[in-house]
Amino acid sequence: MEKLRIEETKYTPKIELDPAGTISMVGKSYPENTFEFYEPMMEWVREYFETSAAEVTTVNLEITYFNSSSSKLFFDFFDLLEENNEEHTIKINWIYDEENESAEESGEDFIEDFEDLDIQLVVK
Amino acid sequence: MAENRLVTEIEKLKSEFDATTTKLIKDIKRHDKILARTDRDQMRELKKLEARLEEVQQLQTAQKELLDSFIKLIASAIDAKSKYTGGHCERVPELSLMIASEASKSKDGIFQEFSIETEDQKRELSIASWLHDCGKVVTPEYVVDKATKLETIYNRIHEVRTRFEVIHRDKTIEALEKKLAGEDATKVDQWLENEHNQLQKEFAIVAKANLGAEFMKDEDKEEIKQIASRTWVRNFDDTLGLAHEEKKRVLQENTTTPQVEQLLADKIRHIIPREFFDYEQYERMGFKTKVPEHLYNLGELYNICTSAGTLSYEERFKIQEHVQMTIIMLEKLPFPEYLKNVPLYAGAHHETLIGTGYPRELTIEDMPIASRIMAIADVFEALTASDRPYKEPKTLSASIRILSFMVKDKHLDKDIFELFLKSGIYKEYAKKYLKPEQIDDVDISQYIQG
Repeated sequence: MEKLRIEETKYTPKIELDPAGTISMVGKSYPENTFEFYEPMMEWVREYFETSAAEVTTVNLEITYFNSSSSKLFFDFFDLLEENNEEHTIKINWIYDEENESAEESGEDFIEDFEDLDIQLVVK
Repeated sequence: MAENRLVTEIEKLKSEFDATTTKLIKDIKRHDKILARTDRDQMRELKKLEARLEEVQQLQTAQKELLDSFIKLIASAIDAKSKYTGGHCERVPELSLMIASEASKSKDGIFQEFSIETEDQKRELSIASWLHDCGKVVTPEYVVDKATKLETIYNRIHEVRTRFEVIHRDKTIEALEKKLAGEDATKVDQWLENEHNQLQKEFAIVAKANLGAEFMKDEDKEEIKQIASRTWVRNFDDTLGLAHEEKKRVLQENTTTPQVEQLLADKIRHIIPREFFDYEQYERMGFKTKVPEHLYNLGELYNICTSAGTLSYEERFKIQEHVQMTIIMLEKLPFPEYLKNVPLYAGAHHETLIGTGYPRELTIEDMPIASRIMAIADVFEALTASDRPYKEPKTLSASIRILSFMVKDKHLDKDIFELFLKSGIYKEYAKKYLKPEQIDDVDISQYIQG
């Protein structure tokens, strides 16, 4: 399976997907069409878990600001992770800046919603 | 068995339905969560924006205050530079605004279209008035304050008087030599007395002309030229003790000694060439005033023969250049949209209504009402100012009389002048800024034509 890399723009995050076991997103998320934008990523992750997941998968998320449809998408993304959580070891880091209350609260929301996932809040 | 199948079917459907319902509920809860998060973020953003807006407003106010202080700083520098201007830059804006707000109220004639009501409009006129003379920062003080014709940085009348002293002694020596040669002592004494008296008379004529208080007719100039043709002998090298620039000019002349010199002369050394003048810019800026060939002509005879006032043609241009400088300086400033007319208003205060002003020789069509208001304010302030040590302040009636002459000559706007009188602004201003002894009765009816 190949790596997938999407460069950062003013309104979309940098996305790096590595079959060696890392999934990372860094930046803001205000895409014009959120589901279209994230579709390649979601597709990759699905295939990854089906075919070639590493022993441990580390997910690093450092999203400073995001709109509501991104929020919805992240829920979907966590759903996908949760579906694969039993068969695979997945470690999720929700990374945020100390001063970014909004990001911190969102992280807390995800932890509350996905009790089975291993989500760590990491202050930068 | 069929029943069982149906039950199984129903149970299957029910379980699917339950799963879907659970998913739906989860989804609805998530949506609520997303909404709540969005609301939270929006509120946070709103508060941040509000805080930033307040900060921007504070900065804007601070910036305005800073700009105002800078303007006042420049204006006070100009006023401080010359004893001839006193608090001029400070009083002209006040008077301009007084006239402008009256003009704005009036709906007659030319004022129909004129309005100056918003703070921004007032600010534009006020800044233009504060800065109307800003170009004077580059005008040499000796020109601004030139009180006598022979003045450069120093009044050269003393130098001329010394030459008279020299000739005076030459005559005394000549008389003694005559006596030594055996001429009749009484006759020689008589001759000497006449010569000395003549010299005193001639010096008095030159000295009086130097003041520039009276207009010089052609015969006055002839008389001066006659006096100037007297000679004295210079025995000293006049290239000594000169700085590089002056020496270069003097060396173009015959500097051998002894040298017979004229009492008053126009020499090569007196011509200061015009260098580094940007004619292209001059044209581009639309300046029309004819540019004198030389920067200065310090010729003694030339200056003494100035017809009116103390300024030579070159110096008059130098003075008028201040408006050009005002325009050039102000046009370089990135004024915001609402102040865009500042250079135009400030730069037109020496224009007349008939193209005889400077620097653009505008006519009434091209002269905004705001500039015409400033022109009157400028003249009236200058006439009535009581803080100029070189002249007695004029009375209110005399100042208004002079304004009326300028109106008649179409140098100042008639409608604004009449508004200035009818509204009583002249009285209001006089009460505030004129000395009690300046304020006399003015019969304004003679200046108002229906």
